[in-house]
Amino acid sequence: MTNHWIDIRNSDVILIMGSNAAENHPISFKYVLEAMDKGAKLISVDPRFTRTSSKADLYAPLRSGTDIAFLGGMIKYIIENKLYHAEYMRLHTNSTFLVSPDFKMPGELDGLFSGYDAKKRAYDKTSWNFQRDAKGVPKSDLSMSDPNCVLQLLKKHFSRYDLDTVSDITGTPKEKLAEVYKIYGSSGQAGKAATIMYAMGWTQHTVGTQNIRTMAIIQLLLGNIGIAGGGVNALRGESNVQGSTDHCLLFHILPGYLPTPKASWNDLAKYIEKSTPTTSDPMSANWWGNRGKYITSLLRAHFDTKLSAGDGFGYDLLPKLDAGQNASWLMIFDRMFRGDIKGFFAWGQNPACSGSNAGKVRKALGKLDWLVTANLFDNETASFWKGPGVDSASIDTEVFFLPAAASFEKEGSITNSGRWAQWRYQATKPLGNSRHDSEMMNELYFRVAELYKKEGGAFPDAITKLSWNYGFKGIDGKIQHLDIHAVAKEINGYFLEDKVVKGKQFKKGDLVPSFAYLQDDGSTNSGNWLYCQSYNGKGNNMARRSQNDPSGVGLYPEWSWCWPVNRRILYNRASVDETGTPWDKNHPVIWWSGSGWKGDVPDGGWKPLNQAGTRKSFIMLPDGVASIFGAKMKEGPFPEHYEPLESPIEKNPMSGTRINPAIKRFYEDGGLEEDAFHTNDQRYPFVATTYRVTEHWQTGVMTRNTPWLLEMQPSMFVELSPELAQEKGIKGGDMVKVSSGRGEVEAVAIVTKRFRPFKVQGKTVHQVGLPWCYGWSTPNAGDSANLLTPTIGDANTMIPETKAFQVNIEKRG
Amino acid sequence: MANYVDRFNAADRILHWIVAISFFLLMLSGLGLFAHTFFGYFDLFGGPQQGIMVHKWAGVVFFVSSVLLFLRHVGETCRFDADDRQWIAKLGGYLSRKHQDIPQGKFNAGQKLYSIFAILAALVLGVTGLVIWDPTAYSRELTQFSLMLHGLFFTLSMVGMVVHVYLATIGNPGTLDGMLYGQVRKRWAKKHASKWYRKVAKD
Amino acid sequence: MKRKSFLIDTTLCTACRSCQVACKQWNKLDAEATVNRGSYENPPDLTPQLYNQIQFIEQDKGDDLQWLFINRRCMHCADAGCVKVCPSAGALYHTKEGMVAFNQDKCIECHYCVNGCPFDVPRYDARQKVTKCHACSDRVQNGLAPACVKACPTQALKFGDRDQLIAEARAAGKKLYGENDLGGLGVLYVLDDQPGTYRLPKNPAIPASIFFWKDVVKPLGILGFWGAVGVAALHYVTVGPQKFDESDDPQHKGGE
Repeated sequence: MTNHWIDIRNSDVILIMGSNAAENHPISFKYVLEAMDKGAKLISVDPRFTRTSSKADLYAPLRSGTDIAFLGGMIKYIIENKLYHAEYMRLHTNSTFLVSPDFKMPGELDGLFSGYDAKKRAYDKTSWNFQRDAKGVPKSDLSMSDPNCVLQLLKKHFSRYDLDTVSDITGTPKEKLAEVYKIYGSSGQAGKAATIMYAMGWTQHTVGTQNIRTMAIIQLLLGNIGIAGGGVNALRGESNVQGSTDHCLLFHILPGYLPTPKASWNDLAKYIEKSTPTTSDPMSANWWGNRGKYITSLLRAHFDTKLSAGDGFGYDLLPKLDAGQNASWLMIFDRMFRGDIKGFFAWGQNPACSGSNAGKVRKALGKLDWLVTANLFDNETASFWKGPGVDSASIDTEVFFLPAAASFEKEGSITNSGRWAQWRYQATKPLGNSRHDSEMMNELYFRVAELYKKEGGAFPDAITKLSWNYGFKGIDGKIQHLDIHAVAKEINGYFLEDKVVKGKQFKKGDLVPSFAYLQDDGSTNSGNWLYCQSYNGKGNNMARRSQNDPSGVGLYPEWSWCWPVNRRILYNRASVDETGTPWDKNHPVIWWSGSGWKGDVPDGGWKPLNQAGTRKSFIMLPDGVASIFGAKMKEGPFPEHYEPLESPIEKNPMSGTRINPAIKRFYEDGGLEEDAFHTNDQRYPFVATTYRVTEHWQTGVMTRNTPWLLEMQPSMFVELSPELAQEKGIKGGDMVKVSSGRGEVEAVAIVTKRFRPFKVQGKTVHQVGLPWCYGWSTPNAGDSANLLTPTIGDANTMIPETKAFQVNIEKRG
Repeated sequence: MANYVDRFNAADRILHWIVAISFFLLMLSGLGLFAHTFFGYFDLFGGPQQGIMVHKWAGVVFFVSSVLLFLRHVGETCRFDADDRQWIAKLGGYLSRKHQDIPQGKFNAGQKLYSIFAILAALVLGVTGLVIWDPTAYSRELTQFSLMLHGLFFTLSMVGMVVHVYLATIGNPGTLDGMLYGQVRKRWAKKHASKWYRKVAKD
Repeated sequence: MKRKSFLIDTTLCTACRSCQVACKQWNKLDAEATVNRGSYENPPDLTPQLYNQIQFIEQDKGDDLQWLFINRRCMHCADAGCVKVCPSAGALYHTKEGMVAFNQDKCIECHYCVNGCPFDVPRYDARQKVTKCHACSDRVQNGLAPACVKACPTQALKFGDRDQLIAEARAAGKKLYGENDLGGLGVLYVLDDQPGTYRLPKNPAIPASIFFWKDVVKPLGILGFWGAVGVAALHYVTVGPQKFDESDDPQHKGGE
């Protein structure tokens, strides 16, 4: 989230699209309903009518996978009706920038941008560059009327998304589209705020990143970024998924969103040189220019502090990506399936149910030599070898199960979607022999390190030279009880030697006050620069519980701690005009007092934009402004509608380019039968989507083992419209079989008007929906919807497309 | 035993006492359901659940025996003649110490009326009792109406029972003999049931 | 003590069902084996192990759809049919906060309450004892909100002084169900539609026969019994028994 949960109550318009907040983030609805109580409008856009829709002022259905078309129409509406916040755009976005005259768009190139290489399925982005002056600063047209300026290009690109075209793609009635556009567009006035609450309904598509980009563009047009009640707000799917992402859950980043080194960046200097963005604009803060300090401090935290600058502080010991290597989820299991991966830790996860194309995942697990699972309960992954249709005798995988403690059984921090790192205490001791994850890792570290010391092996230093000072070491050199506070302090960072920084004297062992004090000479360490300040000389800031709200807009600056540097609303310098006066006088986030900023921690402490020596408001971007034109995207600087890999219609109504041209296509690339897909195929005529339900958590390992929850949602179901039910002779409560090109599941039919057929391209398109929270290990519960989902990912992130695919549904004979 | 005349045979008497005993069992076991004040009566049966059980089965006995008893005497109890009407008009002469000679059959009109009331009450109590045997079996309205009727006829029966017992014991000395030994004094019979006495004396 | 009440604002309910679960947790109620019958609603009705339940109601409203949710439970009536018909004093009772609680030790298993309730709420458990929502009387007595209220994320469930809840709802322009019915219900609803849509009686009442039975027949009956005894005694001492003169007996032999 750019903003945070409580801030939702400051909104005037709330769009819930690509998420189902009432069901999957029930607490958020406290704030949604508070906003509505004050007059806010709630809009729910979803293929099905959900518990969220039930509370909405306006519900609009859309066919799964057509969000860009839906939102593209909104961009056209906003621009053509001049609802955008022009002054905001000029100050805080790249809408004034001039793009290379060579740049061509899908309207001209049949769905493609200029520079496409069909063989590589990738773009040469040269023509996407901005026109720059002699100093290298992008050229601007402040009147935003130059045909090559970003706003005019945007207008031209989205002029193709008229109501008729959009409705014909999305299946949304035109009047509903118009109503949504009108209500949401009203937030372009200064003083009005609109927010978007999205989740996996947007990300899990081949165009997932672009779905969010489209909305980010809308929010920038309307001046909704940085303000109270605005923002682009990802509702994270687990209570600490934000924390785990911050601390490098993903393969392509190290803690604090530092890029994972590539094999070709052979030393630390090269890493810093290659990964540090530069700017020629003196007005741009380019905060990532500090990358050297952050990576050095990270290395100092990771590895033995005896390693010196000459050793690159242990840079050589970091894992590196081979050229072109993608180590995302789909690729891990693809390689496992092909036998390239021998061992696997499934730690607090259940890929046999959660992985897209779970049938392939289950087969892949059988090709491992060993599998370690750490979980609260037995699950479909740990017991994959005795799953349905598996010949146990043919499985050679050695499986270990480590019983883990639940979150209530341990102390530590969790970081919620609003980036608040909140300290929690142990409520009860772990059951039986279950252990804290950190203690398991501690044990594992000492045992593996000992084995390396004893037996040697390939590249032992990566383990033996790790720094591991998280508690009192016994006579055997091992830490018996890992001190979670020591971990938290190391994440914050220490001074490793006496040092004067910014005129302050620090002693060796002092905690670093905040990331502005981190050094690139090896004199500081920090496990995650973004968290530097979370646990400093003032104590454990994550444990703060003051309910003071001096701002009056619900920032609660002394409740827990929030990254970065306790900034509660990101990009908050965009909430003010060039004099430092808030656009919204009633909900000021920050304001310039004449001598300094008041309110939230500003995004960089520079003076207002009309004063000398200032820096632009988007300090993390080299150009200093937000990107309406986003050349970093793989499939184009502007979003364009492409059909899902599997779609109910023959061609993309927008162009001759059917699917996202930049995605990796598994079936064609590798030819595995498991990866088969069937688009516009009468055997699988119905659109399907997957989702969670309030009553179950992710794959349900915790909740299916909680009888009270299983009682409420006991088994796998599929929801379908009365029209489709009649066509197929299905009644509510019947057992049906849902099948796709990958597999099939049995489910109880819920026949409901909450699903309605769509009119798309003149034909009736039916959609069905299935939860993915079930698994065979719970008696009579059915199995995972992910047995149906495809092996295909987003072009930028490789997140699987589980929200739009094709199935058939039959009454079970 | 020449002073005596046979009034009820053994079967009559046993049946009557079955009715009477089941009635008192029902009363004692039902009082606890009737009002909180009488909840303690359940203790006589070892607790409310047991009391309710006794009540249910005593009810069956009471109902069956009441019907049999009624059928046994229906020939006499359901026939009213001019004397009976006169008896009713004069309220059996109970309001005066002076004896009024109203010729009556085996049963006087009051007894006849009581027997009709008794069978009516038994029927109502029996039928409503069946409805509320399982209070969840029928609709709320029917069940609650039955509970009300059951209570109403219980209270009426109590009043009837008091009158019946009073008149059959100290109110009319000698009457009880018939139900205890089967015989009553001839003198009693002459006074209370002269028509019947004449008839049996002739035999 | 001021009478307390629940206020259930169905317009704020998102059917997350944390109330259902929190209740089971606090009251230590076992889960039951259920099946999906083609609906989210589960278990389908209140059971001895389910004191409150969210009902899901789908209906058309013009061209649009409405999905309504309501938390169903004991209504804690002031004129509570169950308390009225219960023969065992204290088995069902009003707490000092005005909520209807139960004491299983006093339950005599008569099932009258099951039938006496106009909202079809009381259930009998495996031990054949009455159970139902008791507004977490154990928590409330100790100054805590009922478990369901505590768990509700959207404040669709509130618990507090009845007068104050009513005043607040009125101030917010909300129409209440149950304000005056049955002496005032201990569960007040803000509804999005007619009560019938939520399967609630429009004018909840307990059958007149219950009042006739408990308020008329019972006192009159007791009066009638003692009246009859009194009249008999009075008759005995005034008019006296209808004696027959034994000496008149023609065959009297004396000395009997």
